[in-house]
Amino acid sequence: MSTLTLREAPERLDLAGLTPAALAGLSEAEAARLVVGTGRRGLTLGDCFALRLDGSDEVRIVGATDRLDRVGAGLSAGRIVVEGDVGQRLGAGMTGGTVTVSGSAGPFAGTAARGGTIRIAGDAGESAGGALHGAAAGLDGATLVIDGTAGDRLGDRMRAGLIVATAAGAHAGSRMIAGTIVADAIGDHPGYGMRRGTLVAARHGALLPTFVETGRQDLVVLKLLAKSLDALAPEAASLLRAPMRRYGGDLATLGKGELFTPAG
Amino acid sequence: MTAWIDGQAVERGTAVAAAASLLAEAHGPVIAGLCAEAAAVQAAYDLARAIGASLDPAAGAGLYADLGALASGGAMTTTPAEARGRADLVLVLGAAPWASGLPGDLAVEAPVRGRAAGQPRALLALGGPGDGGVRHVAYPAGEAGLPADIGLLRGLVAGRIAGPHPLADLASRLRGALYGVVVYDPSEIGALAAEMLNGLVKDLNEVTRCFALPLGDPHQGRAVTQVAAWSTGQGPRVGFGRGRPEHDPWRFDAARQAESGEIDAALWLASLPAPLPAWTRRVPTVALLGAPTGDEARVVIGVGVPGEAFGAALWHPRRAAIAWQEAARQEAPRQEAARGAGAPQPDVLPSAAAILADLQARLAAFPVSNPERSASC
Repeated sequence: MSTLTLREAPERLDLAGLTPAALAGLSEAEAARLVVGTGRRGLTLGDCFALRLDGSDEVRIVGATDRLDRVGAGLSAGRIVVEGDVGQRLGAGMTGGTVTVSGSAGPFAGTAARGGTIRIAGDAGESAGGALHGAAAGLDGATLVIDGTAGDRLGDRMRAGLIVATAAGAHAGSRMIAGTIVADAIGDHPGYGMRRGTLVAARHGALLPTFVETGRQDLVVLKLLAKSLDALAPEAASLLRAPMRRYGGDLATLGKGELFTPAG
Repeated sequence: MTAWIDGQAVERGTAVAAAASLLAEAHGPVIAGLCAEAAAVQAAYDLARAIGASLDPAAGAGLYADLGALASGGAMTTTPAEARGRADLVLVLGAAPWASGLPGDLAVEAPVRGRAAGQPRALLALGGPGDGGVRHVAYPAGEAGLPADIGLLRGLVAGRIAGPHPLADLASRLRGALYGVVVYDPSEIGALAAEMLNGLVKDLNEVTRCFALPLGDPHQGRAVTQVAAWSTGQGPRVGFGRGRPEHDPWRFDAARQAESGEIDAALWLASLPAPLPAWTRRVPTVALLGAPTGDEARVVIGVGVPGEAFGAALWHPRRAAIAWQEAARQEAPRQEAARGAGAPQPDVLPSAAAILADLQARLAAFPVSNPERSASC
C-alpha cells in the first residue's frame, strides 16, 4: 500500500491522475516532482506530501483536507483510500476501481464517472453525482454511496449509474437523463426537469406540480434493485422492499422519470 | 486627493507602487468586481494572465444562473429593442423585471416590424407584483414558486399536462402569439429555472416564434462575459494560476475563495458603482474606484468614471450589446493627455485601464516566482 501523507495545502491541490497505476511506474523522487499546485508557485507532490510508494494497487491519502480536488479522477482500477475530507470533483471521470473517503466531500463528487465505486462516509456538497458547468452529464455509470447528507441537486443531469445517500437537499435528481437515486430523505422539488430516471425516497419535501401520482405499484425491478443493494447499502435495500407509490414526471420535460415513495 | 493607503491620502504614484508590491507578494491573487469599461476589463484579464490571478465579476451569481442554462441547453434570446419593435405578446416573469422600466415601455407601444406589425401588444405577468400604472394581465403564481410555475407552463404549452388549469389560458396565449417574448431576471429565478425557461421558449418555437429576454445585471456582467470570451475563450470566472485560463465557476467564486482563505490579495475594479463585498476588508485589497472615499481597502486609487470623464465602451442594456458611450463633459483633449497613470494634472483622474497597465508594467519588474510558467501563457 502506497501512502501520501499531507503535510500542508497552502492552496487548492489538483490530484487528478494520481492513481495507483500512475504512481506504480514512478520512483518516490519522480513522483515528488509531479505538479499538484493550482497557483503560480507550481507546488509539487513532494512539496505538500510525505510519500511512501510501494507500487501496489492501493494508495492511501492521509490527513486529507477539503483543499484536495479531483482525488481519484481518472481512476480505472485499484483502490484509493482517503483519511479525511476532499474538495471538489472526487472521482471525476473514473471508469473503474474504488475510492473511499472517511470524511466529507466537496461539490461534484463522482461527476462524469463511468464506472467503479465511490463511498463517502461523511457528507457530500452540492451536485454530488452532478454535471459540471455545461457538461453533458453528471454521474455516468458509476456507483456513488454517501453515508451522510448530500447537498442540493444530488445527481443533477446524471445519465447512468446509482446514487445512494442517507439524505439530500433540494432538487435531488434535477435534470436527470437516466439512472437511479435512492435516499432515506430528500428535500423540496425533487426531479426538477428530469427526463427519465428513478428516484426512491422514504421521505420527501414538497413535490412539483408537474409530478403526477400513477398509483401503487409492486415492481419486480425494485426487488431486483434491493437485492443488488443488500451488500452495499442494507438500509436502502430494505426501503426498496416496501410497497411503493409512484409519481411520474417531470411533465415539464419528457416526463418519463419516476419517484417512488413508500405507500401508506 | 485621489489615492489612499490605509485611509491616509497619498500621491497616486505611491499608491500604485504599494498596489504593485501588494500583488507581487501574493501567492493567490484575485481580480474581482470588473464593473468597468471594456478597456479596463480587458486590462484586468491581461494583468491576471501576467500575475496568475483569478477573476470574478461582481455580476457573478446572476450571470452564471444564465450562463449555466446557456451552456447546458442553449438559448433563443432577443434584445429589449427587438422586443419593443416586434413582440405582440410579452410575458414578464417574477418581480425583478418590473424595476427595470422595460414593462412600462412595452405596455404603451405595439409591434411595428415583422410578422406581428400592426397587431396590438398583450403584456402578461406571472409571479410578480406587477405595476398598477402599467396595463397588464396578471396570472396567479402557484404556491410552489416561480421555478415550478415555469415548469408547469412548459408542460401545458407542450400538451403534456391537460385539463382545466389556472395557467392553461396563459399557455394557449403563448402558443397563439406571433412573436412572444419572455422577460426574466436570471438572478431572481436561478439556474435550473432559467434552463427550464429556455426549454419552454424552444418548445414554443415548434409552433410559433418566441424568445427569452434575460435582463442584464447593472454591473457590466454581460460585457465582462464578452471580454472574457475573446480574451480567454471561456466564461468570466477563470484563473491563470497554472498559466493557462482555467474556467471553474465554483473554484473562482471570489467570495468562496475569500471565505476559505484561498486568496491572499485582491484587486477590486469598480470604475462604475458596484457593492463592495465585505471580504475586501479582510483580504489585503487594492481598490480602483470611480467614486472612492478612501477607506474602502488597504490601497484605494480613484479612477475616471467611464462614459462621464471619458468616452468608453460599456454595456448598453436596451441594445444588449457593448456600445460606445461618449464623455459627459466636453474636455476630451485634456482627458486624453491625462490618461497615463501618475499624470501631472492631479485634478484629472486616469482611467482604470491606464492604472492596470501601469501595474502590469511595474509587476513585470518584480522577480518571477515560477519562471517556467511564463512560457505556457
